[in-house]
Amino acid sequence: MRIPGYLKATAAALLLAGTSMSTAVQADDHEIKIGYAGGFTGYLAPYDQPSLKGVQLAVDQLNAAGGILGMQIELIVKDTRTDTAQSAVAAQELVDEGVVAMIVSCDVDPAVASGVIAQAAEIPAASSCASTPTLPDAVGPYMFSNYTADNLQAAVLASYAREQGYENAYILLSRDTPYTEKLPEYFAEAFQAMGGNLVAVGEYATGQQDFSAEVTKIKGLDPQPDVIQTAAYEPDFPAFIKQLRAAGIDTPVLGSDGIDSPTTFGLGDVAEGVVFSNAGFASPGSPLEAYEVAYEAKYGEPNDTVFTATGYDLMMVIAAAIEAAGSTDGPAIRDAWDNLENVEVATGLITYKDQNRVPVRVVALNMVSGGERVHVGDYSPDPSMIPAP
Amino acid sequence: MEIFVQQFINALALGGTYALLALGLAMVFSVLGLINFAHGELMTITGYAMFFAIAAGIPFPIAVILGIAAATLAAILMERIAFRPVRDANTATMLLTSFAVSTILHMLFQNLISARPKAIPVPDWMIGAINLGGLSIGVIQVMSITATTLLLLALTVFLRRSILGIAMRAASLDFPVTRLMGINANAVIATAFGISGLLAGVAGVLWLAQRGSVDPLMGFLPVLKAFIAVVLGGLGSLPGAVLGGFVLAFIEVSLRAFLPDDWLPFRESITLTLVIILLLVRPEGLLGRKDAVR
Repeated sequence: MRIPGYLKATAAALLLAGTSMSTAVQADDHEIKIGYAGGFTGYLAPYDQPSLKGVQLAVDQLNAAGGILGMQIELIVKDTRTDTAQSAVAAQELVDEGVVAMIVSCDVDPAVASGVIAQAAEIPAASSCASTPTLPDAVGPYMFSNYTADNLQAAVLASYAREQGYENAYILLSRDTPYTEKLPEYFAEAFQAMGGNLVAVGEYATGQQDFSAEVTKIKGLDPQPDVIQTAAYEPDFPAFIKQLRAAGIDTPVLGSDGIDSPTTFGLGDVAEGVVFSNAGFASPGSPLEAYEVAYEAKYGEPNDTVFTATGYDLMMVIAAAIEAAGSTDGPAIRDAWDNLENVEVATGLITYKDQNRVPVRVVALNMVSGGERVHVGDYSPDPSMIPAP
Repeated sequence: MEIFVQQFINALALGGTYALLALGLAMVFSVLGLINFAHGELMTITGYAMFFAIAAGIPFPIAVILGIAAATLAAILMERIAFRPVRDANTATMLLTSFAVSTILHMLFQNLISARPKAIPVPDWMIGAINLGGLSIGVIQVMSITATTLLLLALTVFLRRSILGIAMRAASLDFPVTRLMGINANAVIATAFGISGLLAGVAGVLWLAQRGSVDPLMGFLPVLKAFIAVVLGGLGSLPGAVLGGFVLAFIEVSLRAFLPDDWLPFRESITLTLVIILLLVRPEGLLGRKDAVR
């Protein structure tokens, strides 16, 4: 291939500019480096891309307010392509570049791959939105969770179900991911602990689309369930609920945060009355409402998922941990992070103290009504009601 | 009994969608010897075309037609841009090209449109069901069965009656000799891709009506199922692909419906084991030719 001369010149100039820029960054001691090794392409992109937008908004706000410990934040972002091996490589690159804390992918496997690298380097790390409560212990004391844990959400849904007087529950799970398998199981455990009865467990494969066989089975159950709980999300949840309602089954359905997406609100009549848990509701005057305004100002479009807000929250937690540690030393940040209490973030308050690195945060229940989101309430369940991970 | 009939209809509807996809794969395979793993992305293109059409205020039925047209056009372009330059290379090169096309399209969708799913609101009448004496047949199921029947009939007429159709069948038997008879290879191959795009578009509409949203990676799983169906039916055989799609759907639905609860986690492995057993008994596939080259 022939490359025109002027293109070569431009490329050389860009290359030179690039080199000089990176040396300038290295020479500057007044920067604090935070790394994000996330799945920005591949199957985690729907979660890590929004998380990153929230993280960037937090970095902008923190830097505008003077940074952390008087130093500006430099965010270094690496794409893992949702590949587990690449997640380890990206984490190692971040360690080599001198990050003081690391955000890793939204799913357990790549998060563990990155986490063990951070653990070995004594750099605290947290997954952007993995919700499996056993994740931090799978890696070690430098690994934290950020997102609402599955057992916490399940406990809130179960207590809501009992409040509504539901006696018999049916759960639909998929063993393809820990989230779609464990959350309904935690729900069943909590629901039974609260005196409810589990009628049957249905199974599906992620992406199977066709739920006719499962729906026909539900129709034949005796006793009929009063409530159906599932952690299915797109594309399974819309397909399931359409086929369920088409078969004339109008049993209430409880979902989890995976269905907090415009698709759910665009489903029309079939989704009417579906209640789902998520990390927060933007009620008037709430910090989340202020966050949504700032988000729209930065990106020019309204926020359409809570994952941006939880990304923002995580960056704020990291800033609080470093401020509390008073240094950029890994072990000091880790200890400070593990003792954080009631940090004010976009979705409410987050506490890490005495929680074994899985945070306690508010769980909001929302109802789909007329294609809109209606706030049912914010719940902080009694720790004794939360099923053990 | 009622539950058997209900599950039979369920399997028939799912089989229709699998058959349309498998047939699209088989069309291209029969003329090029290529399994096009970017076939699923044609469904995704249908989805995005519908999404943008609906967002622009175009009524749903016209958006459906635009979506199918977009998939057809995309399939023809795919052949022209990606596959024609490597047509004379060996099959492995073409196979890798199809993976490359698929990955490039994934990245374009993720980075130029959105990594998050985009909602496609489906009219309420499509969500309902028709009740026939205790049986409930979803409108989408009826549409799936009808569309499959009509398309299969139309395709049969096309392949048996038109010159291009006859040329395609001839090409699937022996391409060099077909060319010696004065048939334009480009026309045959482009038509095969066009038809595969049309079939993927129709399957895409049925698939999207169930799921209510389009996302960048949605084409992967269906193309995998279609590939199993094609192998099961016999590589290179068009009726085989259709039969394979239905057999796969019947195995899947019956296992999901009648397997004891404790066995449910193994249903996918049992499905594939059954497929392997069928292939051990008939290595050339259900309707495959004994002398077929693989």
